[in-house]
Amino acid sequence: MAQDGTPQLICLTASSGVPLFTRGANRQLPFSVIGSLNGVHMFGGSQGVVVSSSSTEGGGKVVWRVFQDSVMLIAVCRGGHGGAGSSSRAEQVFLQRLLENVWNCMVLVLGQDELGNVRNVERLKKDLRSCFSLIDQLLEDGQEGVFGNLTHCADSLLPPDPGLLQEAVDGFAKSADSEFGCLIVRGRIAAATEKWWRLAPQEVVLLSALVRSLAGSGTSSCDYPVFLPRGSPNVAHRLLRFQLLPGADVCILCGPTPSLHRAETRLVVPFWAPLMETLRACLAVGQHCLPASVSPRPDVMAVLLINRETRRCVTCVQPNLQTSDPPLPSRQRCWELLKLFYSFSVTRYFPQEDTLCVVPEDKDPRSNAEDFVLSFSHNPLQCYLVTEECKSFGLQTPQHQLFLLTPLSVPTFALQTLASQTLSDIVSATGF
Amino acid sequence: MAQICPPGSILVADWHRSKDSKEYFNKILHKKRRRKFGLLESPMMPPHLAVDTVHYKIFICGKSGVGKTSLAARLAGMNVPNMHYETKGIETTMVYWPVKLREGGKVLFFCLQLWDCGENALRRFDHFLPSCQEQVDAVLLLFSFTDKTSFDDLSNQITRWTGTSLVKVVVGTKFDLFMHCDVTETDVRTFEETRSLPVLHMGGEDIDGLGDVAPLLNCLAENLWHQDCVAAASGTRRSQQETEALI
Ligand SMILES: Nc1nc2c(ncn2[C@@H]2O[C@H](COP(=O)(O)OP(=O)(O)OP(=O)(O)O)[C@@H](O)[C@H]2O)c(=O)[nH]1
Ligand SMILES: [Mg+2]
Repeated sequence: MAQDGTPQLICLTASSGVPLFTRGANRQLPFSVIGSLNGVHMFGGSQGVVVSSSSTEGGGKVVWRVFQDSVMLIAVCRGGHGGAGSSSRAEQVFLQRLLENVWNCMVLVLGQDELGNVRNVERLKKDLRSCFSLIDQLLEDGQEGVFGNLTHCADSLLPPDPGLLQEAVDGFAKSADSEFGCLIVRGRIAAATEKWWRLAPQEVVLLSALVRSLAGSGTSSCDYPVFLPRGSPNVAHRLLRFQLLPGADVCILCGPTPSLHRAETRLVVPFWAPLMETLRACLAVGQHCLPASVSPRPDVMAVLLINRETRRCVTCVQPNLQTSDPPLPSRQRCWELLKLFYSFSVTRYFPQEDTLCVVPEDKDPRSNAEDFVLSFSHNPLQCYLVTEECKSFGLQTPQHQLFLLTPLSVPTFALQTLASQTLSDIVSATGF
Repeated sequence: MAQICPPGSILVADWHRSKDSKEYFNKILHKKRRRKFGLLESPMMPPHLAVDTVHYKIFICGKSGVGKTSLAARLAGMNVPNMHYETKGIETTMVYWPVKLREGGKVLFFCLQLWDCGENALRRFDHFLPSCQEQVDAVLLLFSFTDKTSFDDLSNQITRWTGTSLVKVVVGTKFDLFMHCDVTETDVRTFEETRSLPVLHMGGEDIDGLGDVAPLLNCLAENLWHQDCVAAASGTRRSQQETEALI
């Protein structure tokens, strides 16, 4: 996964195998290999078999998927040392999520019609270029600690003063004749209107990714056409985004009015200037996602907390990791390990409510993970994993899923208590 | 249409190089890079040095790939993308630029909001062009030195904007790619004379941080200010300009 370099992505027309684009990986696959990958899938098709994934002896992985009978996406990941919880199965989940996200992102930008009926391949190739910045961001797995692409839960930030921001977002959206408004701070949702939360989870995640990519370029506002993969795949809405402060962006989804100029000159300052200090406090929360009052216990290296009902997630890595012997994993490694452990847990113990897009006929010869999960007559509530780098513990309740990492020095029997306490600390302090 | 004013006729030329500009330029810099301002922020001077900020909307146009997005990023001191990612909609960029008027020595902050819309997006969706044109003060007409057709198309571009009292500045991009140069000095000079429009060029490494953008920003500021003075003299100064400056 991430540490082995970015996966390579290939996009072809499904009917004739004409390459539309390739992204990712420093070393491009030769054209003949791309042709063979497509050939294998086509051959399967002619035999009535859907080829959906394959792995090599060296741990490499290939995943295929056809969308709308018109576009085929292939992801190729070179093998390597995955580390804790890295299993062929977990990587497959990661790649399948990736293909689904890439497709959604193509729909977001171009709309389903254009992708569904390819009339002019050259034209489509050109149009697809406008998806590249977003796709590259998906492949590089962008910002540290952002999990939405994997969990399909909205990365959230719990602001110190949620009420004021909620009011401002509601009022701002309403004044622009929109029911969909959202405030994104450091790439995570700090407040959003009720309707925004009712968008499909993938859409919420995708829009956050889009805003991150737009905000990253340093522009101060924009008016972007977006198609919603679930809600409105054929009719574009307008996404208006305004950078209030560097790192804090407010956006709305709207129809033909108001114009960008009008919204910016008439609405932005009146609604947001009074909240300057609140916004700054929110920015100060930063990468941590949680208000300063809820610091994770010193023994916790990293946490991912998911609210299963609202489909939101918060993450944080211990800001002051102690030095120890053997040395603790770096911040960046903690994020990687947390992602691996999440994938490991949901493929083995905590099946996802949201379709993981693993096609039923897709049986991985190297693991019987699916049978394993299905063979349970009960629902696992907790799981743990001890590796050379850290200990990991997962916990689920009807409302939440919590995943945490601790140093090896923490006794295994203490993990369960630590996890339940962390969960109740965060939930009672923030109501998440 | 307002006559173009020669560089340095209204504003102190190359003011960013002189010592007395330092405290003003420091407000738009942060650790030797350009400071980023959100919409709620602006450069703040101490009370005894308070300066007025004047706001303008500038539309950047030119065909896909000519370098509109790159120009906006460069003028704002942001990282210039080295790949061509088509712009899918409208993106605006704020550029703050201090200037000193020659007459009276008054200092002003120009807040230039650059409006960049991908050419293909402009064609695909009807609402983008009116939105870019709404209360616009200036247009930057772009051509690329590596693409003669983009230069030849300038006349069409200019006709689109005749009749409106707007500052028009022509910018040739990719001047650094002289190996692939497709537009000659003579072409440019002839054009300048027949159209009486300023033509500036962009491209190449940025030398002292501000030096590469100063000629263009000063040219824009100078012409915008001139346009306002002419309008004020004829009593048609747009009231919207004032309300915007108040916010
Ligand atoms: N060498 C050089 N390359 C440039 C210059 N300006 C732009 N480019 C390159 O030209 C390509 C296209 O630039 P963009 O700014 O993205 O083009 P655009 O006009 O915004 O295009 P659309 O958004 O599609 O309308 C990019 O790869 C830039 O790196 C320049 O002055 N010098
Ligand atoms: Mg562009």
